Formats: sequence, structure tokens, C-alpha cells
Amino acid sequence: MTTTTTELRHVGVLGLGTMGAGIAQVLAASGRDVTVLEQDGARIAAGRARLEASLDRDVARGRTTEAERAAVLERVWCTSSLVDLAPVDLVVESVSEDLAVKRAVLDRVAATVAPDVPIVTNTSALSVTELATGLPGPERFAGLHFFNPAPAMRTVEVVPGLRTTPELVERLVALVESLADKIAVVVKDRPGFLVNSLLLPYLNDVVQELDDDLATAEDIDVALQLGLGYRTGPLAMLDLIGLDVHLQATTALHAATADPRYAPPPLLRQMVADGRLGDKSGDGFRTHPSPAASPRPVSPHDRSPA
Amino acid sequence: MSTPTTGPDGLEGRDPRTVAVLGAGTMGSGIAVVMARALHRTILFDVDEANLQRGLDTVHGFFDKSVERGKLTAPLAAAAKASLVGTTDLADLAASDVVVEAVYEDLALKKELFGALDDLVPDTTLFHTNTSTLSVTGIASGSRLPERVVGTHYCNPAPLMKLVEVADGRHTASWARAATIDFLESLGKTTVVTKDRPGFIVNRFLIPWENSCIRALESGLGTKESIDAAVLGALGHPMGPFRLLDIVGMDIHQQVATRLYEQLRDPRFFPPPMVERMVAAGDLGRKTGRGFYDYDDTRLFGS
Repeated sequence: MTTTTTELRHVGVLGLGTMGAGIAQVLAASGRDVTVLEQDGARIAAGRARLEASLDRDVARGRTTEAERAAVLERVWCTSSLVDLAPVDLVVESVSEDLAVKRAVLDRVAATVAPDVPIVTNTSALSVTELATGLPGPERFAGLHFFNPAPAMRTVEVVPGLRTTPELVERLVALVESLADKIAVVVKDRPGFLVNSLLLPYLNDVVQELDDDLATAEDIDVALQLGLGYRTGPLAMLDLIGLDVHLQATTALHAATADPRYAPPPLLRQMVADGRLGDKSGDGFRTHPSPAASPRPVSPHDRSPA
Repeated sequence: MSTPTTGPDGLEGRDPRTVAVLGAGTMGSGIAVVMARALHRTILFDVDEANLQRGLDTVHGFFDKSVERGKLTAPLAAAAKASLVGTTDLADLAASDVVVEAVYEDLALKKELFGALDDLVPDTTLFHTNTSTLSVTGIASGSRLPERVVGTHYCNPAPLMKLVEVADGRHTASWARAATIDFLESLGKTTVVTKDRPGFIVNRFLIPWENSCIRALESGLGTKESIDAAVLGALGHPMGPFRLLDIVGMDIHQQVATRLYEQLRDPRFFPPPMVERMVAAGDLGRKTGRGFYDYDDTRLFGS
């Protein structure tokens, strides 16, 4: 699967969380060298473990080979030292979804890499244009939005900011198309870009209807999977995304648009306040603690069909 | 109701009922396939002789295709065909154990049919309505015995789609709902239980979803190709929203969306202006050869 490419051969990835690790994997699998910047050794270790686990799953599922797994790991190099990013051809920012945090990292990185090196953000909820302002050379800045899990999801949104050059957009589309099985979709810098602007209101709507007792969480998922052929039902999808992540994203879009469709439904807030974050906490809409533990209902009104 | 009998090929122990299907359109003939394939004594009813014949032909054609594709053995297909009859006379439905109503989305017509059947069938006969946009309660009010009326919403094409949404009306009895779920599961269907609310589950979420995708297209957020591709690649949907709308038909989308909007007065259900334009232009989708995309072939589902 190794693709040789002369474009953007060496990529710096900022952050080795879920998305950062997935993006590093995808880029390394295309034959590129990847240098990942993380805060400290502990975060690097956690991120590498994530990357290895993801590759192990791919090997187990026959999506990649042992040899390719080893090659990918070899091509991903982690550091906590900013100067190690100096030689990269492209920077992909994937730190936490917080404007101040992203700005601080981007400022330092922009001062380290060459002035013509493109810098892209994997933000899902912040404005690309807003992140670009204040950076030296905002025309080299754009959004490159991967979906979770990055190795599996084909779509990558390419998001030009107001000042992004058309040439950079073309290069990013070409980059995405050089990645195995990925498709580039050029979208506008609007809150949620394309996919999340459609997906988040739908997910909020489902949570509200669950709270309104339309059906059980399982029946809602089964209906949409069997009725519409969706691979994952919306409530299982929310558990996978993380209810806290969804709450943060939809709150940001609500703040940016004042569109009530993005307003977080009360049940979502309650679940997050209660620490029920979905798969990662072992308790969400469809994920439940082991039967040994006392089962908690999904909503106070939850009931099984007779 | 009846004693188990021995049928051909692996259908021993089935409990054949008499099932009447009202309306020989797409949904009615699809539901008739489901019933006849399970070797229930199936009576397809339509007021119009030509419609009825078309419906019967559709059912037979489906079984012939199933044999060609190796999905059904020839003896089973023959038995299924033999278990199906058609009629234009409501009186022929007197022995029905289950009536599945799949006529036009016209409340008065549906109520009238249930009212007329009250006088013909036993009080224990289940009345199922396949309405997608009307209220189960409203339809049930046409029967003297609204407790026997249950909403059973099949997906199109009914013979291939496993899902049936089950919704009680206000007066549906728990025995009727329980018997309905047992019956549907014996047909190999997967049931979900929902409320008598506009759109049940699937259309409740599908219609605002499709509308929001059309609005995204209208507002220049993407092209039909880019939105279809993005949704396909990011959300695990089997096809993009515009490919799906072309299969559903813009006229059908407009009709369902408008009916849901009329009941909910929620702007998310109202079809965006582009829908009306496309319907006016005759760009209904695959069936007219042009919708969001152009098609050389107007056949659906290979039928």
C-alpha cells in the first residue's frame, strides 16, 4: 500500500490524541515521514499505544500486513521538542478543540517552520479563518478535517479560509487523494463545515426524541440501521464519538450560529454531567456497565417494549 | 387460530392464517409477497380490477425472480403463488385473521374500509395499517373496535426490508399489539416499537435529514456530488442523500414532508423550495430518468 509521493513528504502532526494518532497513521501509511509533537513523554507513550492498537486492529482485520504495520510505526517519530518540526513540509494541527490552546501552539509552530510551509488544522468546530488570523502568512493556512476513526473514514474535508490560496487548496486535495481510499471534499468555512453541520442537528434531534419517549435507544438505532441501511445507529454513534465530545462540538456550533438545532438537548448535558460519556466510560446510550453492576436506565422514562 | 400443517420444504409447523392485504399498489403488493411467501392464505384486495391484476402480476413476477436468483426453490415459489388470490369484493375477506391496510394515504378511505370490514370479519381479526404519515388513532377511529387496530409500517421494498415499525393508536389493546409483534416476527421481520407520532422513527429522522441536505445544496455548502460523497465517506450511510432522493422520488418526498409538516408545524419538515421546482419540472428521480442525477434506466430495484 506504500505510495511514493514527492509532495509534502514530511509531515508534522501536532497532538497524538485519538485524531492525531489516526491522522499520523494515515499519513505514514502513504509512505510519508511523520514527526509528531506532543507535550511530554507520558502523552507520547499514550499516543503511541493508541497508534499501535489501531494498527493491531487493522492487522487482525486483514486491512494491513505485519510488515506494513512495522513500516508505519517506523515512519512515525514522536518528540516533545518544537525545533524537531523545523524541517517538515506540512503541519497538521490536531490538539484539543480550544481556540486559545490551538492559537498558542500554532503561533509557536508558525515561527519554527519555514514561512511557506502550509499549516492545516483538523478543527471540527472552530473557524479556519479565525484560527488563521494573527498567524504570519494566513494564506498558507487551511482546514483539513478528518473524521473519527481517521484510518477508516474515507471523507476528508478541505476547508479554505478567507485568505487561503487556491493553490494550497489544490495541493491539499491532491494530498488527500494520495492517501489510501480517501476522498477530498472542498467545503466552505462555515460552522461545522459540511458534514457536521448536517450531522449534529440530526444527533441532537435523536437525543431529544429519546428523551421524549419516541422509542428505546435500541429501537431507534435498529430502525435507522434496518430502515435506512446506516452502518451505525445514531445513539451507538454518539457513544462512539463520546458524549462529551459531541456536547462540546454542538455547544460551539450553537454559539457560532445561534441556530437552535445545535442547542444541546437536556438529556445530553445530564449524561455528560453524570460521567456517562459513551464507550470510553463504559456507559452511554447503548453501552452499559456489565450486568453485574446495577443497570441504570437510559432515561428516567426508559422502558422496554412489552 | 388454526392447526399447524405440513407444508413444502422446511415450512412444516407453520400456522397459516388468512391475511387480507388492502390495496394492490407498490406497498400492498410488496406486503402480499411477504404474506404469500410465508404461505399464509393471502387475499389481495383492490377496488380497481386493473390495479389488482397489476398487483398480482407484481407478486408473481417477484416469485419468478426469486427462483431465477436462487433465493426460493421452484416448489416453494409455486406454493407461495398458490396461496395468493385477488379480489375486488370486500365480502371475500370475511375469513381474514389479519387485515393489512395499504391503500392511498387518505384518512377517510382508510377509516371507511375498516368500518366496512367490522361488519364482515370476526371481532378477533387484527387490523393493521401501513400508513406512513397519518395517525394510527385517526385510522382506528373508523373501526367500532379501535383496540384491534395497530400501526405496522413496512419499508419499501417490503419483501426485502426487514424492518417494521409498530405503533399503537390511543385505544390499541395490549393483546393486539403483542399478537401483531408475534405475527410480524413469524414472518422474519424485525419489529421496533414506537409511538403514534408523525413519521414514526424512520421518517421522523429521514425527512429533516434529507431537507437539511437539500438546504445545504441550495446554500452552496457543496455540490450534489460532494455532499453525497462526504456523507457516504464520513457517516457510514449506504448512499448519499441525493441518490436516495432520486430513488424515493421527489414527489413522494414532497408529499411525505408536507404531510409531516402539516401536523408538526416544525420548519425542519417543510420541503425546501428546490423540491417544488424539481417536481414542477418533472425531475422526480430515477422513475422519470432525471432527478438530481440523470439516468438511462428508469427501473427500480431491478424489478
